[in-house]
Amino acid sequence: MKYWLEAFDWRSLAVLRRNALVYLRNWRTAFFPPAMEPVVFFLAFGLGLQGYVGEINYRGATISYATYVAPGLIAYTAFGTPFYESLYSAYVRMFYQKTWDGILATQVELPHLVWGEILWAGVRGFMNSAIVCAVLAVFDLLGWVELRMAWLPALPFLGMLAGFCFSAFGLIFTAVVPSIDHMNYPVFLIGMPISLISNTYFPLEPQQAWLRTAMQLNPVYHLAETSRGLLVHGDPGGHLSWLIGCTSIGLLAFFTIAHHFTRRRMLG
Amino acid sequence: MTAPLLETRGLSKSYGDREVVSQLELICNAGSVLGLLGPNGAGKTTTLRMLYGFIEPDAGEIRYRGRDFAEERTALKRIIGVCTQEDTLDYDFSVEQNLQVYAGYFNPRVPNVKQRVQELLEQFDLTQYRDASPHALSGGYKQRLLIARSIVHHPEILFLDEPTTGLDPAARVAVWELVDQLRKAGMGVILTTHYMDEAERLSDQLVVLREGRVAARGLPHEVLGSLLGEHVLTLRSDLEERPQVLEVLKEMGLPTHKVLSDILAPVTARQLADISERLPSVRLTVRPPNLDDLFLELSRSSSSSSSGAKK
Repeated sequence: MKYWLEAFDWRSLAVLRRNALVYLRNWRTAFFPPAMEPVVFFLAFGLGLQGYVGEINYRGATISYATYVAPGLIAYTAFGTPFYESLYSAYVRMFYQKTWDGILATQVELPHLVWGEILWAGVRGFMNSAIVCAVLAVFDLLGWVELRMAWLPALPFLGMLAGFCFSAFGLIFTAVVPSIDHMNYPVFLIGMPISLISNTYFPLEPQQAWLRTAMQLNPVYHLAETSRGLLVHGDPGGHLSWLIGCTSIGLLAFFTIAHHFTRRRMLG
Repeated sequence: MTAPLLETRGLSKSYGDREVVSQLELICNAGSVLGLLGPNGAGKTTTLRMLYGFIEPDAGEIRYRGRDFAEERTALKRIIGVCTQEDTLDYDFSVEQNLQVYAGYFNPRVPNVKQRVQELLEQFDLTQYRDASPHALSGGYKQRLLIARSIVHHPEILFLDEPTTGLDPAARVAVWELVDQLRKAGMGVILTTHYMDEAERLSDQLVVLREGRVAARGLPHEVLGSLLGEHVLTLRSDLEERPQVLEVLKEMGLPTHKVLSDILAPVTARQLADISERLPSVRLTVRPPNLDDLFLELSRSSSSSSSGAKK
């Protein structure tokens, strides 16, 4: 708990700044491909499948499948960007580049390093979510989706807050996997199910109690439903409270675990 | 009386049941180089890592300028510079940016960062590479950049962990000159090295570690004398009487080391006189001991004690 407030320390921000400077140096390669991924997904799922799926009833409103998928893509981006950033990019910095060793030889301590990585991954989630929102705004103008545009600017901020939690979750695996090849486990066995059992691409109404509980505790589900509620009805329902609760508790818990395992790995 | 720049008391660290550093007492003053020597596994890097705060000691205290490192860690880390054994350069940045970004990890801020970076680029002969990636640098220039980066914030004490390992002779000499400049500028330097000539040339004081404990300390020649004696008897392979000399050495209980085809035996003046008396017709070759002999002796005693432990 004593390390939680270190998120606001200048040293955490120094790590965030370092990662941001690298990003700005390579922004052409770092920005476009991941930002375009959800656009491709939208074209494939939203527009491609719309002809087969048709319309969906969402909380009393009949909406097109493309309109249903659009908020899900924002949620998926806000989850996937920080999660994969803290898995792969952070692992490369820690293991291959020894960047973390260099930083830890300064006034920066391990809690600041972990917080800096979490903050940076969350900011990346914000940036990519903002791109998706901008693209969806264009699609709305083209009439491909019907969204309450006024809420679009709020969603990257929500995505960033949730992204801090997803990033801290990813860092746990970064601290424990023996090699980068082992990242397949968290990616396919954890990341993929979380992003699918979350009403991002299709509505789920599971009969099994355990699956309903899993969904209820899944922040990506609440992020997707909050986004959808705002963009379709202008009302997130109870999902916003769940989202804030799940991600706040998750962030502090995952940070504590990630910090513990990173300390064990880096400092023995 | 001013407190030493660095002072440790009873510094200890264990990993599991293995005591890596035990009851270590060190002192380093401004404008001096303290050499930490010892074979692999002697506890040099662990000691350094405790001193610059990378790992926590299990016991003992570390004081910088008389101030307790455990209590004023953040403030005291501001006066510490660290050049790690591994290449920890930031390959996402250019040479110049490596210095600029690293300066951002210290508070109070480095005044006039741009000017400071320019100074270091010139001092370390890196100006021509300022916009290049560290990938483009040779081993010697990478080491220069690592050292330059470690002093970008004007530290008072610098830790150099095996700074010339893997460098060619010219690059090693260049690093020695840089270390000498830093010492002359008043910086305290703590150096670990495997190279005996490096330790002899650079160190004002030597501390020899063996299995985490201080085996000897003092001026380089004092350390050699306390651990090895005054002379090293060299028995070349072409010495006809070598078997007889070895027999005498064995009878006297003196240790020997085989280096390629030569056999070396550290001896005192008294022991040398005894050997000459027992083998008056043999022409013995004798030279002063150096730190290579010390390492051989340390390695021999470490391996014999560890093999003894296995038994």
